Amino acid sequence: MDNIALLLHGFAVVLTAQHLMLMVAGVMLGILVGVLPGLGAPNGVSLLLPLTFAMDPVAAIILLTSMYWGALFGGSTTSILFNIPGEPSSVATTFDGYPMAKSGQATQALTLAFLSAATGALIGVILITLLSSYVARFALRFGSPEYFAVYFLAFASFVGLSGASPFKTIVSLGLGLAFATVGMDTISGALRLTYGFNVLVGGVSFLVAVIGLFGIGELLVTMEEGLRFDGVKARIRPRAVLEAARTLPRYWLALARSSAIGCWMGITPGGPTAASFMSYGIARRFSSRRDRFGKGEPEGIVSPETADHAAGTSAMLPMLALGVPGSATSAVLLGGLMIWGLNPGPTLFTERPDFVWGLIASMYLGNIVAVTLVLCTVPMFAAILRVPFAIIGPLIVVVCFIGAYTVATPRSTCGSPRPSASPDGCSRRPTTRSRRWCWRWCSATRPRTRSASR
Amino acid sequence: MPASPPKHVSRLAAEIVAALLTLALGIAIAAGARGDGVGWGTGGPQPGTFPFWVGVIVAAASLCNLALAFRRVDRHARVLDAVATRRLAAFGVPLLLFVAAAVTLGFYVATILYLAAVMRVQGKYPLWMALAVSFGTAAFFYVVLEVWFKVPLLKGPLEAMLGIH
Repeated sequence: MDNIALLLHGFAVVLTAQHLMLMVAGVMLGILVGVLPGLGAPNGVSLLLPLTFAMDPVAAIILLTSMYWGALFGGSTTSILFNIPGEPSSVATTFDGYPMAKSGQATQALTLAFLSAATGALIGVILITLLSSYVARFALRFGSPEYFAVYFLAFASFVGLSGASPFKTIVSLGLGLAFATVGMDTISGALRLTYGFNVLVGGVSFLVAVIGLFGIGELLVTMEEGLRFDGVKARIRPRAVLEAARTLPRYWLALARSSAIGCWMGITPGGPTAASFMSYGIARRFSSRRDRFGKGEPEGIVSPETADHAAGTSAMLPMLALGVPGSATSAVLLGGLMIWGLNPGPTLFTERPDFVWGLIASMYLGNIVAVTLVLCTVPMFAAILRVPFAIIGPLIVVVCFIGAYTVATPRSTCGSPRPSASPDGCSRRPTTRSRRWCWRWCSATRPRTRSASR
Repeated sequence: MPASPPKHVSRLAAEIVAALLTLALGIAIAAGARGDGVGWGTGGPQPGTFPFWVGVIVAAASLCNLALAFRRVDRHARVLDAVATRRLAAFGVPLLLFVAAAVTLGFYVATILYLAAVMRVQGKYPLWMALAVSFGTAAFFYVVLEVWFKVPLLKGPLEAMLGIH
């Protein structure tokens, strides 16, 4: 099969010492942001994004996706040990994970969570391997009306699938679209919604919005609720890991069902959070041990974890093949692709096969690296939670500030020659980057008019 | 409204304020877009058409939220009590001061001041530790961003005086 040969080529691209080291570094950073309650995968990735501007695209995407896997695993860790979901998508894991850990089965709970998460991710990657070329070929026939339909379906499912009031979702969507139209209209060249302010001509940066909403927003919520760490001592015993691993096949039905839910929700823009809740709800409805749910039932860990990771992984498929983000993190990654000078969407598969298949190969390796590292390093990262918020909170604020500032650097700051900045790093950024952000934003309203007209 | 000042923010009040805020934004968007032409020109829809209708949708959905807030929200539900407000202020006020300092004094000076002040005042850490963490953080970001990744950050008068520019 074509895809298998391409995948092997991808492995050849990925398997270099530098890429493997980036993978390990990305996973470690990811576990770190996943464990920290103020940070999650989308903001971790968006904070790291400005640092990858100077990197080669393959290396950059490996670093960022590895961080994503690490964050997904790290989020489950705090859910189980401290009842604090590090990620919105691991909220459902707390329902049974924390009770199980409290009853002295922390090792079993963590092992089951990690292994089922890895299973979900693996199924997601296999799906991408098998389907991506087909979806991309199909999407190459897309024109503007088809793209409009895809985006409209995506937005409609945001409204329909989100648990909150649909009108609030509509308001949020509308505000996002409106912010995206600020600045120069790429079709007519007219300036829109600038209200006479010169600052607004460049538009509103997506990343700044992400950092503000996810980074600072999460911190404020954490502050409001007041941090209490009622942690369970995490000590992973090697024997208990093996014993728990042996029980995993018992939950084959939950694994299969949750993978299917996760993959579906990842490809449609339901996202990992919705997938994990849905999977937990369905598992509870169909389980023969329904009354044990919420009191430490292993199936209540396996189901949301599998779906969470299956959705997180398969969210990459629409991002790569259609240029439509399936989750918040893949929306940020999509912005990254454009910063690195790539054009997400079906043409990416024909123009940059080494990048696409390198990324897919790195998903296999990245998840293996992540599950290994996470089993080894959980106690260490759990200790970070004992660092008081008076240190962690301000540090996160500083990182958010750096991220927002580097993305939205005014031209005057960056355009003026500075001895400390390399000519390449600086001369390239002010023009192409701001224009690319402009494009990224317009892609929300007018998806890929250029490629469609080709 | 009770006669004595409320010790908490009710859910209803929060919903109403949020709905009115988004309503105002929606109107501002629609009004701003009207200036760019919202009709059908020779080359298709004029530039303001899309943002205009987005603004209208935002405003309409905000009105629905406003109506639903009165009908559905539990009048006794609270979103923010005095304790939570104090916690938020303890975090938010230094944050705003940090941003103001970063713009005027430069990023590195602001980071040192912010981290040291929060650790010393709120975390009650010994001064040497606060200074060590804050200077260490600033040095770390300087090495990673300016030296390694060549990303220039805001510089202030101190950097100009020392000649690290």
